[in-house]
Amino acid sequence: MDFKAALPVRRRIFRAVALLFFAVIVCNLINLMLVRHEHFRDRALKNRQLQFRVQAPRGRITDRDGIPLADNRFHSDITVPISSFAGGEADSTLTQLLTWFALPLEPTLADLQNQQRRGRGRVSLVRGATMSQLMAVEERRLHLPGARVESRLRRRYLWGPLFAHVIGYTSEVDQEDLDRAGGEFDYRPGDYIGKGGVEAAFESRLRGVAGIKLEEVNASGRIVGRESIWLRPVEPGRDVALTLSLPLQVAMDSLLAGRPGSAVALAIPSGEVLAAVSLPSFDTNLMTAAISVERWRQLSEDPAKPFFNRIVQATYAPGSLYKAITSLAALRKGVIDTTSTLEPCLGGMQFGNRYARCWKPEGHGRLDHAAALAHSCGVYYYQLGLRLEIDELAEAARAFGLGEVVTGIFPDEAAGNIPTAAWYDRRFGRGQWTRGVLLNNAIGQGEILVTPLQMALLAARLAVDGQVPGPVFVRGQTPAVGPVELPFHPRHMQWIRRALRQVVDAGTGRAARQAGVAVAGKTGTAENVHGQNHAWFMCYAPASAPEVAVVVMLENAGGGGAEAAPVAGAWLRQFFAHNGVAGEPASGRRLP
Amino acid sequence: MNWLWLLWPRGERRLAAIYVVLVLFSLALLWSVTEPLVGPYAEMQVDVPKGIFWRQLIWASFSWLLVCLVSRLPLRYVENTAWPAYLVVAALLVMVLALAPEVGGARRWLVIGPFRLQPSEFAKIALVIVLAAWLSRRLGDRSHIAATLGSLGLTLLLAVLVLREPDLGTSLVFLGIWLGVIFWFGISGLLLVTALSAAISAVVMFYSEGVLEQPWPWGLYILLVIAALYAVRLSMSASVLVLVCNIAAGLGIPLVWARLQAYQQERILTFFDPGRDAMGTGYQALQSKVAIGSGGLFGTQYLQGTQKGLAFLPERHTDFIFSVAGEELGLLGAGIILGLFLLLVLRAVDLAAQARRPFGSLLAIGVASYFCFHVVVNVSITTGLLPVTGLPLPLISYGGSNLLVSSLMVALLLNLSAHRYDD
Repeated sequence: MDFKAALPVRRRIFRAVALLFFAVIVCNLINLMLVRHEHFRDRALKNRQLQFRVQAPRGRITDRDGIPLADNRFHSDITVPISSFAGGEADSTLTQLLTWFALPLEPTLADLQNQQRRGRGRVSLVRGATMSQLMAVEERRLHLPGARVESRLRRRYLWGPLFAHVIGYTSEVDQEDLDRAGGEFDYRPGDYIGKGGVEAAFESRLRGVAGIKLEEVNASGRIVGRESIWLRPVEPGRDVALTLSLPLQVAMDSLLAGRPGSAVALAIPSGEVLAAVSLPSFDTNLMTAAISVERWRQLSEDPAKPFFNRIVQATYAPGSLYKAITSLAALRKGVIDTTSTLEPCLGGMQFGNRYARCWKPEGHGRLDHAAALAHSCGVYYYQLGLRLEIDELAEAARAFGLGEVVTGIFPDEAAGNIPTAAWYDRRFGRGQWTRGVLLNNAIGQGEILVTPLQMALLAARLAVDGQVPGPVFVRGQTPAVGPVELPFHPRHMQWIRRALRQVVDAGTGRAARQAGVAVAGKTGTAENVHGQNHAWFMCYAPASAPEVAVVVMLENAGGGGAEAAPVAGAWLRQFFAHNGVAGEPASGRRLP
Repeated sequence: MNWLWLLWPRGERRLAAIYVVLVLFSLALLWSVTEPLVGPYAEMQVDVPKGIFWRQLIWASFSWLLVCLVSRLPLRYVENTAWPAYLVVAALLVMVLALAPEVGGARRWLVIGPFRLQPSEFAKIALVIVLAAWLSRRLGDRSHIAATLGSLGLTLLLAVLVLREPDLGTSLVFLGIWLGVIFWFGISGLLLVTALSAAISAVVMFYSEGVLEQPWPWGLYILLVIAALYAVRLSMSASVLVLVCNIAAGLGIPLVWARLQAYQQERILTFFDPGRDAMGTGYQALQSKVAIGSGGLFGTQYLQGTQKGLAFLPERHTDFIFSVAGEELGLLGAGIILGLFLLLVLRAVDLAAQARRPFGSLLAIGVASYFCFHVVVNVSITTGLLPVTGLPLPLISYGGSNLLVSSLMVALLLNLSAHRYDD
């Protein structure tokens, strides 16, 4: 049969079927909405199940031995709806509460409005209310429409400022977080989210999944249900164990004694961070409890920059720590030998129209290579630098992982800067700079920038021929970078390790010397155009079988040998008294 | 100002108007659904974020531009895309099975940057086009059996891929589209009788074994079929075909049942016996009926629905959005929405009857089948006539992929209405 000719009949059949289908569903609608309307309206009124969202408890953060550093506890807040201060005017409930609790009007209103901006329908008037405050509100519920007591889990940092920069903190999500989170139902106003450090980097592991349950409620909305039905069970967040050790962290913190700067200790060869202190610090508990605007401004405008993570965010010139790299670069090129002596140091050296000084005005006299490193002689290293190309020096530094991000878990982690010829061309223009920059670079000054954590990694990699991966802060964390193969001759590596040991035994780093344990290290005093010199010290120990690398960096403190080396020495004494990484009896000492 | 006419689609004004009004209904309902919850403990409940509305608004604007564009394309272009589109969609469905992250026990979305695409939605329009393209070339065949079975194969390939996700509702949509198109194409009477009687056989078997737990109703049905075959004096070979298919369908049901996912079995059982699971899928169906029933003639007024407002309605921005329409807009509002859909379907059937070329005709009937099946099944689910299986209400439910595909379907109709006499 012809297709076209058959269409009118099929059209009628198709229309009839479609009309029949629609007629059936419309009849059913009429049945539901008109005939049985009363029945369903009653059911709607009696409908007593409400869906509740139950926040998952955030995973705990512990130190490497399971000692809790961050956990959660219940806080009771007295909350009011945002309508109670609409238009900047407190309503009767809010006015009464302000009077009872003797809260100042203006700052409190500002705080409430600040919370409102985070997108919550209810805001906390009193956080962590005392029992008497709670009783006061509960007893007078009827006269305080809108006010309510709400209990919530809130983060507690048991050691406050001690781990602030490593752990970070949590705070209520703001609009930016909600937009960034993407997933449609993931975060809701009032949820906590990790900010900075491990809290942010391990957010998905720590956070867990909020549950949804159905509860029977009575007409006024109180829960009366005998049983609650979980539509989705709460999945608690998983715990995270840091690689840091609480006693070692405490030791490091007390040894820095509040001086601005930072100190890091790395386990060798695992790359696990055992202690990491950045000072000044701040109490992370303040941030979690929705910090007041004024306190926030005070902290963020503090010239000492307590929020600044000096372990990974701050970059400095490495100073004489860099001389170990200059030596290796020169040995690799073959322009010097491990025993060579150069022109004697008379306190400085003429280069073109510039007079480059050694740190020791009276001069070191004639030194061999190892002694030059041990006494950190500038003139010797100026001469080494002039025998190198800028790129050869940079290549040696990059072999240790300098100039790159090493952890990958801190959002503002600095990569530092290892300048090359191409970099100088870009910076100053081709031909606009001279080999004079090598004088600076050879002693770790000029445009070279490193973070203290990178220097700790340098010390660890010097100790075991590069067989240390990028530092990790959490147990089981995959390092951002693997161990490296160093391009230096084994004989030269052995020599530099002997020389570094000599630095501590008889050179500038004598303050780090230990009874019974040999230490290898290097001091550094970074010239600082803005003020006093920065004091550096890096070391590893025991020199023969390295277990730990330590870097201490004190801002504007002066000489590295006098200021930084004693801190590292004292910490190492406690480390070995504590029986190293494992903290077990000496006979059974175990490495990670 | 000459370029402004580009922002209105070519083709019949009334079709475009129906489309615009339906999308406006959708946006109004989504605005209502995403209003913050009210009542005690509102802030502790699970509400639907406002972002849903804004996202859908962006999708709607984008869809409108596409409608304006596609309504102007020569139909030949559409026909030429049939096979590439079909193959791409099939490949995407395979990719979904292999790569897509699991959400709520199913893999349905491909994540591309900020977008989550649901290839099974795009498969619907690809199927409509490929069926029209393929069948329009088989009209000259002496027997329609090859065309029927071939088109069924094309359909089943997509249906099976989607069923694996698993998404039962969508794979049934493919069969619905196929049924409409193959009827229009001219299915052989024998096949139609065979298929329909086999389907009835399967349902009777399910009732017998699953609900009554006695085999005799099915036996009775088979005896009836034999009697009917004898009565109409069908040829021996044809009778045997019909009978064998009936028996196979009946006996196959327990096997299919055993292969269904546990949640699918549960939903079907719950449908026949709503009391057995008051909190799970039965909860959804029941709350949806309560919402619609409490709407009455005029509804509880826009933004005032308590069922929606108190979050009793599950999936209230997606598959169950019709319940919100019923609760807040009442029988009148829900009736207007259904009336518009019916007008759209009838208009599509008329266009199919008037189209100059068979391709256009089959295309239009595919679109008509899509809307008819989708709307009727979705509304039947929300009103408790069918078991719960995830299926959005076209043009109305939240979901970019579905809105885009439904809009493209309308654009094809607009295109046909413009080219009715001159293609």
